[in-house]
Amino acid sequence: MELHLTDLKNGETGVIISTDPSSESQQLCRHRARKGWRKHFRSARFVKRLTDLGLTPGTNVTVVKSAPFNGPLEVCVRGSRLAIGRGMASRILVDVKR
Amino acid sequence: MSNNHFTVALAGNANVGKSVIFNQLTGLHQHIGNWPGKTVEKAEGTLHFKGYTIDVIDLPGIYSLSTFSIEELISRDYIATKKPDLVINVVDASLLERNLFFTLQLLELETPLIIALNQVDMAKKKGILIDHKKAEKILGVPVIPTVAVSGSGIYEMLETAIEVIEKKRRTDPKKPRYGKEIEKRIEELVELLGKIQLRYPIRWAAIKLLDEDKEVEKEVLEVSPKIVATAEKIRAELEDIHGHACPTVVSSERYQVASRISKEIQEITEPLKTPIREKLHTITTHKIFGYPIMLTTLLTVFIAIFTFGDFTSSHLEDFFFGLKPTFDSFLGTGIVGELVWGGAIDGIVGGITVALPYILPFYFILYLFEDSGYLSRIAFLMDNLMHKMGLHGKAFIPVMLSFGCNVPGCLGCRIMETTRERLLTAFVVTLVPCAATSVIILGLVGNFVGIQWALALYIINLIIIFTLGRIAFKALPGEPTELIMEMSDYRIPHMKTVLNQTWFRLREFIVMAFPLIIAGSLVIKIAEVANLLEPITRIFSPVTVAWLGLPAVTGIALIFGVLRKELTLIMLGTLLGTTNFAQVMTPVQMIVFTLVVMLYIPCIATIGALVKEFGWKKAWLITVFEILLALLLGGIAFRLLII
Repeated sequence: MELHLTDLKNGETGVIISTDPSSESQQLCRHRARKGWRKHFRSARFVKRLTDLGLTPGTNVTVVKSAPFNGPLEVCVRGSRLAIGRGMASRILVDVKR
Repeated sequence: MSNNHFTVALAGNANVGKSVIFNQLTGLHQHIGNWPGKTVEKAEGTLHFKGYTIDVIDLPGIYSLSTFSIEELISRDYIATKKPDLVINVVDASLLERNLFFTLQLLELETPLIIALNQVDMAKKKGILIDHKKAEKILGVPVIPTVAVSGSGIYEMLETAIEVIEKKRRTDPKKPRYGKEIEKRIEELVELLGKIQLRYPIRWAAIKLLDEDKEVEKEVLEVSPKIVATAEKIRAELEDIHGHACPTVVSSERYQVASRISKEIQEITEPLKTPIREKLHTITTHKIFGYPIMLTTLLTVFIAIFTFGDFTSSHLEDFFFGLKPTFDSFLGTGIVGELVWGGAIDGIVGGITVALPYILPFYFILYLFEDSGYLSRIAFLMDNLMHKMGLHGKAFIPVMLSFGCNVPGCLGCRIMETTRERLLTAFVVTLVPCAATSVIILGLVGNFVGIQWALALYIINLIIIFTLGRIAFKALPGEPTELIMEMSDYRIPHMKTVLNQTWFRLREFIVMAFPLIIAGSLVIKIAEVANLLEPITRIFSPVTVAWLGLPAVTGIALIFGVLRKELTLIMLGTLLGTTNFAQVMTPVQMIVFTLVVMLYIPCIATIGALVKEFGWKKAWLITVFEILLALLLGGIAFRLLII
């Protein structure tokens, strides 16, 4: 089942499908790169940071818990524990077996 | 460099014990400054070992050599262009996969490299055993197991470092090879790049072009726009094959290599029981228990620091002023004596009585928290609240510092990732009431008007911070970044590292703030001796008397407050001839005065910190804005309160 990382229950593990909010249409992405590089740059930066920390497509990611009042998520990926802001986490698409 | 003088850089992820190794190597022979033109800390030190002099540079802790943060850019530029004799890659043995991801990039950067496999003891406790000989064979560079906190392995690491630098030990660094499709395209770019001159290794540059690296792309573009166009075409091909953006493809491939290597060299057995540090993590980040624990901890720390500070500060002051008669007998009570005492010495004493008793324990506890890992938990818990003022969780740390003193708060903004975030945080930080401001709020309003009014002032201050933070967040160009940070395992802080960091930060504070405080004291003293204060008061009276409804002498007090805010209260007492302020000021006047003092200007040391971190223009902008804001709100408050 395809879900956003923020939709996972505590303790649930999913496989990352995509961390790129614009990946549904690569064509659109490239178009944007020419027209509005700033917006593209933003999403590129965000994706880069996540992938650098090990959240690459195909990786297992476990949601440990989330801080209250819509706070960040605590996730476990490749053996390390990360805190990810909720906005960022909501742009990560994962595949979950339920 | 001469035959026995080398430069070695320490590189690695954050929280791998890099700074512990740095401190073990260099001790007190350190120099902490900023990278030229950047608000990123540069730690350098010197080490003498077996007749060699080794300059050690501690590069910032980073996860990649891309362009996400200034730290990453600085590190890779340093390695690629300054070419240190050796890079020691400090690797956390218990997080091999992610650490190797960084190691692979260092290998691609073709720098002479050895690996310090750190915290092997912790890894063992977690059930992770690493075959470092095998790692050596696979990576082609020496791998030395170390435990930085106990110093074990450091000697071997240095010996190996010398051997590698002097080429007595041959290394054969193996650059990672990726999947067929991507490898073919790297070759294609390597061939093209081989024809032009670049600062970087060719294969690395080729991979960086696939990585959509703006910096490398810009450099290549200047020489050959054709190559950039080809790279763009190749990226599109790869995106079509993999269905992901090309940089993601590159990172994925690199992580696959890192993952494969780490599987080959490590053996994992599950630890039998949950260790205490895990339980501690669970409870300190718990959605219910986390907050009371944090509040209790912070309050305890604040109360402890203020009790200690108050006690030490008054004793130090007594001691210094006890020296005045001796001093007077030397220089006399004439103009020279007064200038030297009132200007220079008063400034130094003021600095010492603030810096040592308050800032020292503040820094100490900050680094204790940082080193133990608690700071990142606080950031995790406070992220949501900080979002309300347009910042993210990490910003809570400089803000928290600022309740003690704005100067470390401003310098602490370095932990934010982007220049925009740094500036925003600094702006918020300068609005936070520091310890000296609290003295006035509590000492004047709290004492003479009522504690509920003092609380009201704090609340007003918080409202102002949230509102202005929000507005600045909307107004400042650029994109916001969100919280993304590692919460590394709790550990027992390494005292030597904590003490060293405290000492160097304190020294930084003294070097920056003291000259300003002394110069400021001197200027004001000269004005006083030259009888200029009276005319200045008159110039200010339209603002102080007519607009704010305050006694005219407050003008002088406010001038002194630029040096240090608590001086406003001391001066006010002196000028009005009494410390029973209720006799000479109305409650409204006291509230308005305190409100103005709270906001009107960052003190001279804070302005200095702003200039240092952000340049003159932004420092002045913030200062002028806050003066106008204080006057505006003070005047409004006066009119509202007398109704």
